Amino acid sequence: MISLTSYAFVSMILFSIGVIGVIARRNIFVIYMSIELMLNGITLFFVTFARYHFNLDAQIISILVIAIAAAEAAIFLSVIILLFRSKKSLDTDVFNTLTQGENS
Amino acid sequence: MMADIIFLALSAFAIAGAIAMLINKSPIYSALGLLITMLSIGGLFALLSASFLFMVQIIVYAGAIMTLILFILMFLNIKEEDLPNEPKKYPLIGLGLILMIPLNVLVLKAISNLPSKDLGITNTDFGDIKPVGMALYNNWLVSFELISILLLVALVGSIVLAKRRKPKEKRGEQ
Repeated sequence: MISLTSYAFVSMILFSIGVIGVIARRNIFVIYMSIELMLNGITLFFVTFARYHFNLDAQIISILVIAIAAAEAAIFLSVIILLFRSKKSLDTDVFNTLTQGENS
Repeated sequence: MMADIIFLALSAFAIAGAIAMLINKSPIYSALGLLITMLSIGGLFALLSASFLFMVQIIVYAGAIMTLILFILMFLNIKEEDLPNEPKKYPLIGLGLILMIPLNVLVLKAISNLPSKDLGITNTDFGDIKPVGMALYNNWLVSFELISILLLVALVGSIVLAKRRKPKEKRGEQ
């Protein structure tokens, strides 16, 4: 029998891999995909609890999370395109336009 | 018994795709790994008898968002020299692993104390499109409207961001 803990284990592993991706990688695309992975892990958690308590509200929160992720994708990808056009790189260390002085 | 095997296969695919996303250098392969993860999570939703969310996951995430990411990746025509070199990638992954262990242990310990229930597929219409829509439009109407405003703002914002730099870009190309 599949228990609640096994679903929680899978979703916590996915969330942790997302956090590790934000910490360890410097490619801005991979950082964005790690954020998506974190949202997905938490969505899986919500759906598991909806099934556990037999209540639909958690599934509706998951739908709202997916809609927010779609809005975030539109904004984030257009910002990535702007940054890549001006700097010709995907490295997060290059994007220091808000710091004063050392920026060209 | 069948559901156990499907659950194990889907969760193994999801975790393997996530790890492939984490360690691949090329962002195209990372996006394909994330696509495998999205599809497997959709399967897990179906296993949790959330059939409407299964369809939403396949259509919105695996269909729209991942297509947008892959399109942007191919549109930017990323070369090898555009990618950052990451000499400290694996030590930082190890550091993140150590940092995330206490949170995981805490959450799993809290979850494992809850009374166990059968999480198999139900015969009722739980998670179908009609009950989800009834709950969404009866109890969560304000959130739904706010999400629609948010999506409109994101649409307008991305158009403004993409349009504003055009004359500057033309000068920069010379």
